[in-house]
Amino acid sequence: MSLIDIAQSISDSPIGSAIAESAIVFPVLEGSHLVGLAISIGLLFITDLRLLGLFLKQVPVDKVLQQLRPWVLGGFAITFLTGGLLFWAEAATLITNPAFPVKLVFIAIAGVNALVFEARLGRRAAEWAALPKPPAAVRFAAAASLTSWTVVVIAGRLIPYLGTVG
Amino acid sequence: MTTQAVFESLQSTGLANFLGHQNHWFGALAQLLHIAGLISLLSGILLVSLRLLGVGLREQSPRLLARAATPLIWGGAALLFISGAFIFLPSAGIYDKPAVWIKLALILAALLVHFTLYRKATSTDTPNPVLARSTAVLTIVLWFSVGFAGRAIGFT
Repeated sequence: MSLIDIAQSISDSPIGSAIAESAIVFPVLEGSHLVGLAISIGLLFITDLRLLGLFLKQVPVDKVLQQLRPWVLGGFAITFLTGGLLFWAEAATLITNPAFPVKLVFIAIAGVNALVFEARLGRRAAEWAALPKPPAAVRFAAAASLTSWTVVVIAGRLIPYLGTVG
Repeated sequence: MTTQAVFESLQSTGLANFLGHQNHWFGALAQLLHIAGLISLLSGILLVSLRLLGVGLREQSPRLLARAATPLIWGGAALLFISGAFIFLPSAGIYDKPAVWIKLALILAALLVHFTLYRKATSTDTPNPVLARSTAVLTIVLWFSVGFAGRAIGFT
C-alpha cells in the first residue's frame, strides 16, 4: 500500500469526509489554525528577536522565555490539533502537494532546534541572562527558529498555489 | 449607488487592472505579506494584552511594553492594509458579502478600542486593573476575530 493510498483512505474515512464536507467545521478549523499560528509563532518570533538582542532589550531574557513559553506552547497546541484535523480531511491532495513535505520537514527542523535549545540552554537561561550579549549558541538557535518557522508559514500558505486540481 | 456597484467600479480602475494582470505569483506574494502583517500585528497586541491581564511579562510597565509593541502593531497594520488592497482590488466585485462586512466592522471596533481604552490603559505604569483587564479582553477578542473573519471570506 503506497503513501498515496494511505492518504486517500485517511481523507475518505468517515471523519475525514465529514470534516471536508462540513460548511461550518472546515472554515472554523482553518480560522483556528490561523489564530493558533498567530499566537504561537507571533510570540515565538518576539522571543527569538529578544534572544538576538533586537527587541525588548530592557526586559530580562529569562523572564521573556519563562513567561511567554506557556502561551507559545498553548498556541502550538491549537495549531497542531487543527492542522491534524485539516490533514485528516485533505490527506489525499496534501500528500501530492510539493509545499506540504517542505512544511513538514521544516516543522521537524524547528522542533528539533527548539528541543535542543530547551534542553541545553533554555532551562538554564538565568545563568546567561545577565550577560550583555547572549552566547553564540543561543543566537544561533534563535536565528534557526526564526528562519525555519518562516519557511513553515510560507510553505503552508503556498499549499493552495502549488496544488493540483482534483 | 449600491456597494456592489462601488466595488465593481473599484475593480475597473487602472490600479486594479494593473494588479489583476500580474502573474498569479503576485497574488501569492500579497497573501504571504498579508499573513506576515497579521503575525506582526497580533503578536504586538498579544504581548501588551497578556501584560494587561497580568499573565505575561507581569513585572514590566504596560507603558514601556506598549511603546515597544507599537512598531509591530502599526508596521503590521500597514503591511496588512497594502497587501489587503492588492488582494481586494483586482476582484473587488466578488467581495460584497457578509464576511467582508463583518471583518470591516470588527476592524473599526478594534481601532475604536485601540484609540480609546487601549491608549488609556497603556498610558501609565499602573493602570486601573478593571480597565486593564477589560481592555485586554476586548483587544484580543476583536483583533483575533478580524483574522478569523478574514479567513472565512474564502469560504462564504
